[in-house]
Amino acid sequence: MDKNNIRNFCIIAHIDHGKSTLADRLMEKTGQVSSRDMENQLLDSMDIERERGITIKLTPVRMFYTAKDGKEYVFNLIDTPGHVDFTYEVSRSLAACEGAILIVDASQGVEAQTLANVYLAIENNLEIVPVINKIDLPSARPDEVKREVEDVIGLDASFAPLVSAKEGIGIEDVLEAVVNYFPAPDGDENSPLKALIFDSYYDNYKGVILFVRIKDGAVRVGDKIKTFRSDKVYDVVEVGVFSPNLAPKDGLYAGEVGYIAASIKSILDVAVGDTVINAESPAAEPLPGYKKVQSVVFCGIYPLDGSRFNDLKEAILKLQLNDASLIFEPDTSVALGFGFRCGFLGLLHMEIIQERIEREFGLEIITTAPSVSYKVVKTDGEVIFVDNPSHLPPPSDIEHMEEPIVHADIFSPPDYLGQIMDLCREKRGTFLQMTYLDKSRVRLEYDLPLNEIIFDFFDSIKSRTRGYASFDYELKGYERSKLVKLDILLNGEACDALSMIVHEDSAYSRGRTLCENLKDAIPRQLFEVPVQAAIGGKIIARETVKAVRKDVLAKCYGGDITRKKKLLEKQKEGKKRMRSIGSVEVPSEVFMQILKTNKD
Amino acid sequence: MAGIYVHIPFCKSKCSYCDFASFPDKLCYAESYMACVYREMAKRKDELKGYEFDTLYIGGGTPSVIDEKYVAMLLASARKNFKLSENAEITIEVNPGTVSAGKIALYKKCGVNRFSVGLQAAQDNLLADLGRIHNLKDFLSCAKLLKGENFSADVMFGLKNQTAADLEKTIEIAAEAGASHISAYALTPEDGTPVYTDYLNGELPDGDEVAALYEAGLKKLRALGYERYEVSNFCKKGRQSRHNLNYWDRGEYIGFGVSASSHINNVRFTNTFDLDEYFKCILSDNFAVVDSEKIDEEGREEEYIMLRLRTAAGIDLAKFKSLFGADFKAKYSAQMKKLSGSLDADEKTVKIKDEYLFVQNSVIVEFFD
Repeated sequence: MDKNNIRNFCIIAHIDHGKSTLADRLMEKTGQVSSRDMENQLLDSMDIERERGITIKLTPVRMFYTAKDGKEYVFNLIDTPGHVDFTYEVSRSLAACEGAILIVDASQGVEAQTLANVYLAIENNLEIVPVINKIDLPSARPDEVKREVEDVIGLDASFAPLVSAKEGIGIEDVLEAVVNYFPAPDGDENSPLKALIFDSYYDNYKGVILFVRIKDGAVRVGDKIKTFRSDKVYDVVEVGVFSPNLAPKDGLYAGEVGYIAASIKSILDVAVGDTVINAESPAAEPLPGYKKVQSVVFCGIYPLDGSRFNDLKEAILKLQLNDASLIFEPDTSVALGFGFRCGFLGLLHMEIIQERIEREFGLEIITTAPSVSYKVVKTDGEVIFVDNPSHLPPPSDIEHMEEPIVHADIFSPPDYLGQIMDLCREKRGTFLQMTYLDKSRVRLEYDLPLNEIIFDFFDSIKSRTRGYASFDYELKGYERSKLVKLDILLNGEACDALSMIVHEDSAYSRGRTLCENLKDAIPRQLFEVPVQAAIGGKIIARETVKAVRKDVLAKCYGGDITRKKKLLEKQKEGKKRMRSIGSVEVPSEVFMQILKTNKD
Repeated sequence: MAGIYVHIPFCKSKCSYCDFASFPDKLCYAESYMACVYREMAKRKDELKGYEFDTLYIGGGTPSVIDEKYVAMLLASARKNFKLSENAEITIEVNPGTVSAGKIALYKKCGVNRFSVGLQAAQDNLLADLGRIHNLKDFLSCAKLLKGENFSADVMFGLKNQTAADLEKTIEIAAEAGASHISAYALTPEDGTPVYTDYLNGELPDGDEVAALYEAGLKKLRALGYERYEVSNFCKKGRQSRHNLNYWDRGEYIGFGVSASSHINNVRFTNTFDLDEYFKCILSDNFAVVDSEKIDEEGREEEYIMLRLRTAAGIDLAKFKSLFGADFKAKYSAQMKKLSGSLDADEKTVKIKDEYLFVQNSVIVEFFD
């Protein structure tokens, strides 16, 4: 295939703006999938993805298109995850492309997330074609939205195709735009191999399947390959392209997108963003842009039934086979027993993993409150990172602490500015700037501590703006902050699973709210249970779970004995689902109370 | 020790809390029903040859609603088919609105020596709310007829609009009327009964309020010389219900009639709740058992602990050892330690502390596997 007839591109869109629907239409139009056979939104293959309408896993697809100029082109569409947690994956997918289709909803206009991904595309030198979607909606305002694209993003939108992916309107224009506006890939087939890994997954039979974009050179079956950052050498067993199922070929050449299978045992050995090179004639330089993926959010995961620790271990190992960004280590908690401390790319990633453990492995789990990674500078000068509150050194050993800060973009109609600014103030945000995009939309920029947004920031912003505002963020760095460890004591005993690191100024209100919520969530016991919040041994809030006063089955005569015993057995079953913290029995839901920052 | 229970599933009208098998509109079947009960007894005769029965309890429904001659025939039938101890305790439940001097006289004549009177409350408005057919005056006349007899009064607490003073007054009236025994039950709103609707609408006192009523009642009962021998049962010295003590001792008993339960030879079984089905079974010369469960060793032990811990006397350690071949305190040392605040233990017994008897479920379930 002549390199000049290849177009590698991706689609950038805000959630719900119609990315998957447009991708489906492109495939249908190019005859890749017949509409009859097509399961809606083919690219989102996991149940959770389809349910949530988001894309987690990237599935590239190859299409053939005969353009109006009479030539046949190969399109490689690389789908990108549509969520801030996966920014790095998005950036690597973008790096595999020359062009990006930017979908903007004709009624909603540019959203925060769109913008973040557009900037990523621009950083990767991609050619961008805006597409105005959902023009069939009565509320569509394509001309205004075009102007918004020009004003906010600075792209020329005059030629932007007007499309309704749902109704199949304007799809041809998009295909022609791909041919005409996106450059053909460059790269030299005769140079040493350089292939960008933009994704991978584990196959039970073939081992790790690498998704690659060949930047230079070629890779053929039988080649010996390695990655730039690892010394392990592998024999290439199979290469091929996505149609969208794996279709083997003899080789992949500069400019092409495809896969490599080389009996690689662990996904951890071949990081996304790394460069595949030929082990016998290695390229001297890797491709730019590699980053070691850092976990941003951490939490403890424990089996509800303590005896199922091994099942949990197996589940996490299996999930990690396909998700190198999921990191974990064994952890023990006094309250929860044996489990794992896990690191995630973000809150959504965490939720997805938790949900998959429960759904795909049938395990009930208890998760502790999410935490970020704090930088702790000790009095002896040592710097450590702590994401588990129970691993925080004693206050006397801490010189100071720093917390991760994000740069947040919030887009909203001006009506809700007050509410958003109030929220950001409550969350210790630093106002950076405000820009009026047009009379109906404002962009607000804030610096916010990450630990303030991992709880309920997203929900709060949505509820305070009736869902109109959009929000996105990227990590900016660490800043010194007055942080303290907030402990929860039940009947005088500290419960490690309920500890958290909070800012000094919000410690009191957090402690009080938590005590109030716990008071309602902990069932009454035979004795009175004080619920206390404490900082370094000093009690700052207290509630009391009163002792139970009535727990008796009134009449218990002849005929009742069997029935009464069943009732007691049921009560016992309920108790079995509880955890003992000292002498206090608490249901697993209690550990989720910590996520609630409001009393409800 | 073993007991006989006979269920009379008829009443004048259904009380608002009642979910027992009782059919106010089927009193006309009383004669046929009693004939079936006699027949059911005859069918159990051979099987229970080796048993000597120490108590007989006629419950309902309202046993006093049927003609007293059926009660006489019932007792005759029991004596004909089974060995009844000479000093057997024979109890009949009576509703104060359904008794007469003649009725009581006949009951006594054929051997009834204990009466259980459904007083429930001494306030006519509360009685009306419960759908009781009697009022305070009826109770007082009934008590007069029972003067000098060994009788018990049932009282309820946790009723809609009931105050502690109401409960205390009820207890005082029962005591003054001469009750040797008082059963005080917390109202249990069962699904499907009218009081369940009250419960759903939040019109009944909550758990804490019920507990406060119980404490007030307990105090009053003790002041009047009634000792608590089970969480809901109080009596003057020596006047425990032997029939009920047998239940809480995991004793054996045989039940006759609709919905009656039995416990014989470690099998618990229950008759049908359906009157027509009961007729059909008995008339076709079958038993009317619908549920039957063999209780295994572990189940026996759990039952025993559950039942004994309801009582003030608690678990007799020697008896436990003879029944289950284990040292209770050693076997349940973890529970003993965990529950040290709510259990009283000495050389001979383990029992729930006085002040924890009303939260006994939390204690008992610790002994369940």
